[in-house]
Amino acid sequence: MPVIRDVMPAFELFQPTSIADTLGLLDRHENSWIMAGGLDSFDWLKDRIKRPEVVIDLGGVAELRGIREADGGVEIGANTTLTEVAGHPVVKDKFKLLAEAAGIVASPQIRNQGSLGGNVAQDTRCHYYRAGWPCYRAGGNICYADTPTAVNREHAILEADRCVAVSPSDTAPALIALDAQMVVRNGDGERVIPARDFFIGPWLDITRMTMLERGDLLVSIRIPGTFAGKPHYFEKVRDRQVWDFPLVNVASTMPTNGNTIEDARIVIGGVAARPLRLVAVEDAIRGRARNEETANLAAEIATQGAAPLRHNAYKIPLMQNLVKRAIRGEGQWTS
Amino acid sequence: MAQTPQPPAPGTPGTPAPGTPAPGTAPAPGTSAQALGTPPPPAQVFPPVDPSKFKLIGQNYQTQDLMAKVTGKARYAEDYRAEGMLFCKLMLSPRPHARILSIDASRALAMPGVHAVLTADDLPAPPPPAGPPPAAGSVPSAAAAGGVAPTAPQQQAANAQRAANAPAAGPGAVGAPGTPPSAAAVPPAQQTPQTPPIPGEFALAKEAMYEGEPILAVAADSEELAAAAIEAIRVTFAPLDFVIDPLDGLRPGGPNGRTEGNVFVGGEVKTIKWTAAQFDELAAGRFPQDAEHGDLTSWGNVEQGFKEADLIVEHIHYQQSTVHQPLETRSAMAYWQNGKLYLHGSTQSVARTVAAVAGWVGIPQKDVVIISEYTGGGFGSKIPGAQTMAIPALLSKKLNGRPVMMRITREEETYIGRTRPGFQAWAKMGFKKDGRVTAVDTFIIEDSGPYRRQGDNAQAANLSTLLYTAPNARFRGLSVATNTPPRTSQRAPGGLQSAILFEPLVNKAAKQLGLDQVEIRKINAPVNGSTFGLNPPAQANRPRPKITSSYLKEALDRGAALFNWEERKQRNGQRIGTKVTGVAVSQSTFTAGSTGVDGLFVIKPDGKMYIHQGIGNLGTHSVIDTARVIAEVLEFPWEQCVVVWGNTSQGVAWSSIQAGSQTTHAHTRANYAAAMAGKKTLQELAAAEMGGNADAYRVGGSGVSGPGGSLTWAQAAERAIARGGKFDGHEVPADLNAMTKASAAALAGLGVMGVARDGYPRDGQTYGFVAGFAEVEVDVETGVYRVVDYVGVADVGTVVNPRSLAAQIFGGAIQGMSHVRSQKMVYDTHYGVAIGKRMYQNKPPTILDQSVDMKWEAVNIPDPGNPVVGAKGIGEPGIGVGGAVVLCALANAIGDDLLKRTPVQPEHIVTALREGRVTYEPLTAYI
Amino acid sequence: MIDQGMDSGHSRRAFIKGVIAAGATVSASAYMFRTTILGQNSGSLPGSVERLITLDVNGQQRRVDVLKQETLATTLRYKLGLTGTKLGCDRSECGACTVLIDDIPHYACSVLTHSVRGRKVQTVEGLAAPDGTLSPVQQAVYDGQGFQCAFCMTGFIMATTGFLKTNPNPTRAELAHGISGNLCRCADYNKIVDCMMNAASLSRGA
Repeated sequence: MPVIRDVMPAFELFQPTSIADTLGLLDRHENSWIMAGGLDSFDWLKDRIKRPEVVIDLGGVAELRGIREADGGVEIGANTTLTEVAGHPVVKDKFKLLAEAAGIVASPQIRNQGSLGGNVAQDTRCHYYRAGWPCYRAGGNICYADTPTAVNREHAILEADRCVAVSPSDTAPALIALDAQMVVRNGDGERVIPARDFFIGPWLDITRMTMLERGDLLVSIRIPGTFAGKPHYFEKVRDRQVWDFPLVNVASTMPTNGNTIEDARIVIGGVAARPLRLVAVEDAIRGRARNEETANLAAEIATQGAAPLRHNAYKIPLMQNLVKRAIRGEGQWTS
Repeated sequence: MAQTPQPPAPGTPGTPAPGTPAPGTAPAPGTSAQALGTPPPPAQVFPPVDPSKFKLIGQNYQTQDLMAKVTGKARYAEDYRAEGMLFCKLMLSPRPHARILSIDASRALAMPGVHAVLTADDLPAPPPPAGPPPAAGSVPSAAAAGGVAPTAPQQQAANAQRAANAPAAGPGAVGAPGTPPSAAAVPPAQQTPQTPPIPGEFALAKEAMYEGEPILAVAADSEELAAAAIEAIRVTFAPLDFVIDPLDGLRPGGPNGRTEGNVFVGGEVKTIKWTAAQFDELAAGRFPQDAEHGDLTSWGNVEQGFKEADLIVEHIHYQQSTVHQPLETRSAMAYWQNGKLYLHGSTQSVARTVAAVAGWVGIPQKDVVIISEYTGGGFGSKIPGAQTMAIPALLSKKLNGRPVMMRITREEETYIGRTRPGFQAWAKMGFKKDGRVTAVDTFIIEDSGPYRRQGDNAQAANLSTLLYTAPNARFRGLSVATNTPPRTSQRAPGGLQSAILFEPLVNKAAKQLGLDQVEIRKINAPVNGSTFGLNPPAQANRPRPKITSSYLKEALDRGAALFNWEERKQRNGQRIGTKVTGVAVSQSTFTAGSTGVDGLFVIKPDGKMYIHQGIGNLGTHSVIDTARVIAEVLEFPWEQCVVVWGNTSQGVAWSSIQAGSQTTHAHTRANYAAAMAGKKTLQELAAAEMGGNADAYRVGGSGVSGPGGSLTWAQAAERAIARGGKFDGHEVPADLNAMTKASAAALAGLGVMGVARDGYPRDGQTYGFVAGFAEVEVDVETGVYRVVDYVGVADVGTVVNPRSLAAQIFGGAIQGMSHVRSQKMVYDTHYGVAIGKRMYQNKPPTILDQSVDMKWEAVNIPDPGNPVVGAKGIGEPGIGVGGAVVLCALANAIGDDLLKRTPVQPEHIVTALREGRVTYEPLTAYI
Repeated sequence: MIDQGMDSGHSRRAFIKGVIAAGATVSASAYMFRTTILGQNSGSLPGSVERLITLDVNGQQRRVDVLKQETLATTLRYKLGLTGTKLGCDRSECGACTVLIDDIPHYACSVLTHSVRGRKVQTVEGLAAPDGTLSPVQQAVYDGQGFQCAFCMTGFIMATTGFLKTNPNPTRAELAHGISGNLCRCADYNKIVDCMMNAASLSRGA
C-alpha cells in the first residue's frame, strides 16, 4: 500500500571491526539493525517499513569471514559470502549439498555479496508481510494470506499457526540435513544451537524466523564430519531459473550400505515457516532399500497433516515428488 | 547464431502490387498539386526490388550510437544534470479507487528545502472535446497532421500501435482510397459522434482510479527530503467501489470499476451484468453463450461455417495482464528557458512526443523541446513519451524554470508504466477434413484498466481472420473497467494474445485430423492480397482490406527445414525418466508498416551528410538503419554520414511513431523519397553550375560528376548555399508535414538539402509474419519446463539489418515465451492492491529461462507494398509465435486441454498431470 | 561518427554538458547533488562513520561527502558524474547497476558507499584505456552490435568483465550462468552470449 518507497530514511552507521565491538554496539543501541550482505536489509529499509536508528555493518569484522576445517568438518564464518561457500574446495569435496544449495541462491551478484548467515537468517517473503501490512508476524492480529481472497500460492501447507508464511532459504535445509550447528554470541556469551532447532515456527514466536533474539549475533556455522562425502540430493523448484525463491526445495543426506539406506536426513523448505526435517520419513526408510517402493512410502508419509490453502495445494504432490527424488537421488536439471 | 539471409527464391520476385501506381508524391486531399501550382508528377513504375543489389541495406554494421553505449557515455533521461537541479517524488494512491477530498501539504511546505507541491489542480484543463474519441483504428488527427492541435495526447498512445495501417487522417493521407478501416478495430459504438468523452487520465489524479496512481508531487533539494515531505502530507479520501478481476465487475450486483459503469463500449461507459445462471455456467466450465457483450463484429456466417466443419474444437482460456517493464523507467528532467520547456525524457518517438507534451503541459508545440537521445526500452509504453512528463515540467514552471529531476522508481514504473490487458476468453474453430478453417468464433473479456477501452480483444479476433483466412468469423467482446494500472498497447497488442488463444486450437485440430502441423498452417495461410477483418452488423458486407504481401508459407517451409521438423516431430511425447519432450510449430502476425512521413538531410560544406531523423532511439536501431537508405541511393560514403536524432531543437523530420512495427517500412520509404529528391537537386545543381543536362550527371562516390565536370560533396554544398532557393532548402515541397517544414526552414542555407514526403503507392495494408518452431522438455514431477530450442523465420520483406532483425525475432519470441512461462501481476482482490510489485514476483524472463542457441532466417522477399526498398517491420509480428509455440509444445508433451491459462506455472502441470484434468482456477485473474 | 553533440547553440545545453564534465573531476564542491539537511545526522553518534571519505574509483582517489544511508550507485551517478552505472530497479534484481568491487561484480544499488572505503571500485567508465582503446568486453560488444536499447548493457559488460576473471574460457552455458544476474528486457540474450563468448576469446588473446 504505497505512499512513498525507494528512498532510505536516514540512519546512523557503525562499521565495527570485531565481534566484541559489534556486541557492544548492539548492547548500546536499542533500535539497531545488523547488516551483513545487506540484501534482505535493503528491502526493508528502502520500503521505509523498518526504520532503525542505527545500522551496524558487519563488513569490517574479519572474524566473521572464512572457512576453516575442524574435526573432519568445517566451520564457516557467518559473513562468508555464498560464492565463497559454493566454491570452497573442501565444501565442494565433503559437503557438496551445501555447495549446491549456496550456488543456486538468487543470482551471481547476490551470491558475491550475500552471506551464509544472512541467507539462513533472512526474513520470510510473504508478500503481505513484506509490504508492511500489520499482520500477526508484524505484531498485528490477522493473517492476510489466509483469507478467502488471499493469494497464497507460495505459502505454507504444514505447521501453519495463524501465520502461513514460509522459510525462503536454500541453504537452511542443507545445513539441517548436514546436522550443522549455529554458533550464536551475545553480551552473555556464546551458545551453540543445532540447525534443526535454530529455525522456528509461529507456534514458538510468530514474529521471528529463528532463535536469534535482539542482541544476538550469529557468528559461525559448524558442519560436523558426519555426512562428509555421503550421498546427497538437493533440488529447488522455482518459476525462474535465476533470482527466484523456492516454491519447494529439498535437501537430503543419505548414507547407504550397498542399496540399503543406513541413515537419512530429508529436509524440505518452502512448505512451512521453518525448513522441515521429515523425521517420520527418515525413521520409515532407515534400513530399507533405496528404490521406488521406498520412495513412494516416503512420499506418502511426508505430507501427512498437510493443510493446503486456496492456491497452494500443488505443494503436496510437489513435496511428495521431491521426497521421492531425494530417495532416488536423481531427477535434477543439469543446467 | 545469425545466419546470412537467403536471397529471394527464384520466381518469386517482389512484383509491385497490381493496380494504380500512385503519383510519386501524393499530395494531400484538398491540397492538390495543381492548387499549389505544380503539375502532377508522372505516374511512376517501380521495377521489382532486388535486395542483392543493395550495398548497405542488408549488411551488418555498427550503429553510430554504439560507441557511446559501450563506454557508458550514452545519456538516458536520468543521466542529465543541471545547476540547481531539484528532485521530485510522487505520492501514489494507497487505495484502488477513491476520490480525494483534501490535501494538506502545509507541514511539507514548511520544511526547509522543500520548494513546491504539485497536485491535479495545477494541471492544465483538458482540451475541449473535438468530437468522438478516436476510433481504435484511426490515427488521431493531431498526430497524423504533423502535430498542430494536441488533442488528448494520451489517446495518441492508446491508438498509436494499431494505427499503422489505417488510412491516415491528416493532410497527405496516403491510405488506399476507398479502403475502409479494419472493421474489428472500429466497433459500432465508437462511430456515434454524440458520445460524451469519458473522464480521462491525467498525470496526477483527483479521483484515484487504481492503487499506485500518482496523486501529487513534491520538489525538494533531495530525494530524501522530498520523500520525507510526502510523508508529512495529509490526504483524505472517500473510498469508492472497485473491481480487480473483470469477472467480479460482471457478477450480478457486483461493483463497478468506474462511477459511470463497469464496461467500456466504444467511447462510452455502460453497465453490463451477467446473470447468476450465466456465472453458474461458467463455474461448470462452460462459457455462457447467451451472456451480454459490448462489441460485436463478424464476417460471413459463423453458424453456417460450423455446420460445414468436419471438426470443431474450442476452449476457455485465461491470459494474464502484464506490465511493459522497460528496463529504463519513465524518468524525466525538465527546465524552462526563454519561455521554452526543455524536457529530457524517455520516449519511443521523438517527433511524436512534442504534441503530446505540449498537450499535457498546456503550451504551444513551438515552446517544447524534447531531448531523448537514448530510450531504455518501451514496448509500447512510451509511444509519445509518458503523461507523467508533465510533472517535472510543471513543477519547474512553478519554480521559475529551475530544473527538476523526476526519477521514477521500479515500483512506480510497475504502477504507471502501462499494462497489457489480460483476457478471459472463449474461442471455437471449425475445420474441414483437409484442415481448412471454416469458422472462428470468439467471446473475449478484456481487462481494460480504469480509463478506456483498449481493444486488444477485437484485434486478437481480427488477426485470426488474417492468419487462418477464415471465411466465417465472429467476435463478441467486453472491455471491463478495472481498478488496476492503465492499459495501453504492448508489443503486438492483441497479436500476442491472438496467437496464444488460437494456435493451441489449431495444434489440437491437426492432431485430431491426423494432419501435419506445418501443413494445416500452410493450407490456411494468407497470401499476397488476402483479405481479412470483421465488420459491425450495420456494415456487414463492407469490403474488407487486403494485405500487401504474405510469404508465411515460405517461412513455414524454411523453418521446417532449419528445425528439421520432419524428424524432430517424432519426439513428441517421448519420455526419458521424468522428462517429456514436446515439439511444435506456431505462427503469428501483426501490422508492419505505415506511410506518409518525411525524410530530411543536408550535405554541408564539410563534405558530410547530416540525416535528421525524428524517430526515437529505443534500441531497434531503426533510427540509424533507415538513414542508410539515403546513403544507399546517393552512393554517399556511409562513413561521412552523421545521423542527427534525439533533440527536436536540432530539426527533425516528421516521423511515424516507433510502434506497431511501422518505422522500418515508413522511413525506408520516406528516406528513399528524400534521397531521390536530393539526387535530383544535386543533378540540377551540377547542370546549373557546369552546364549540360541534369540527367547526364551521376551522383555518388565523391560527389556529382558529368559532362561539364564534377563537384565534390563539399563543393556542391557551397554552391547550393550560394544559389539558395530549392538547392539549400529555402524552397521545399509543399506537401511536407508541418514539423518537417519547420525543421527545413531552420536548416535552410546550410548545404544541399534533400527533403520529401513519402508519397509512394501502397496497395493494401502491411503485415509481417513469423513462423516459429520449438522443443520443450517438461519434468512431469516438478512441472518445471525448459525451452531447449527455438527457430524463427520471418517474412518481413527485404532484410535491412540482419543482426538487428535476428535480435527482434529472438527478443520478441522470448517476450512471448515469458508471457506463457512466468510474467504476471498479482493482486489481492479484497483489498484491491498489488502484492507482487518486485521483479522476482512479476517475473520477467532471465537469460537462463530459454535456449541461448536459437536460430533464425528471413524469407527476404521484398514486400510489393514498399516498392522502393521492400522492407516491412518486425517488432511485433514475432512475439505471439514465441508464446504460442511453447504452449503448443507443452500440449504436445503432456496432453491437450490441461493448460487453460497463462502463465503456465509448475503447479499447473503438476496438478493437472496428477489428476488428469485441470484442477486450478482457470479464469481467475491476478493470482 | 557519433553525434553526441546535440547542443547546437543552446547555451543551457552547453552548460549542462560542462557540468557533466565537471562532475567527473570535482566531487566535494559547492555543486553537489542530493545534499540535504536531512540525513546529515547533526550530532553524529560517537564511533559512527565520518561522512567525508575517500573512494578508489577507476584508479582515482575521490573525496566525497556521503550520507550514511547512501548507496554506491547513487554516489557514482549523482556525486561522481559516473552515469554509465544505471539504476534499473534499485532492488538488486536487474543488474543494470553492476560494478566491480575488488574485481567482483556487485549490484551498486545494494551496497552502502561507506562499505567500499579501501576497496577498488571499477565502473564502465574505467574500462577503456586512457587513449580510448576499448576493453576486450567492450570491443566484443561493439564488434557484434550487441544489445538493443542498451540500458542494461553497461551492467552486462561489468558482470562479464568480472565473470571472465574467474572463468576465462567458459562454454556458452557457463557464460550464461555467470552473467545470469543481469536482465535484458529486450531479451537480446542470444546476441549477448554471442558477443560475450567473443569477449572471452578477445580477453584470452589480450
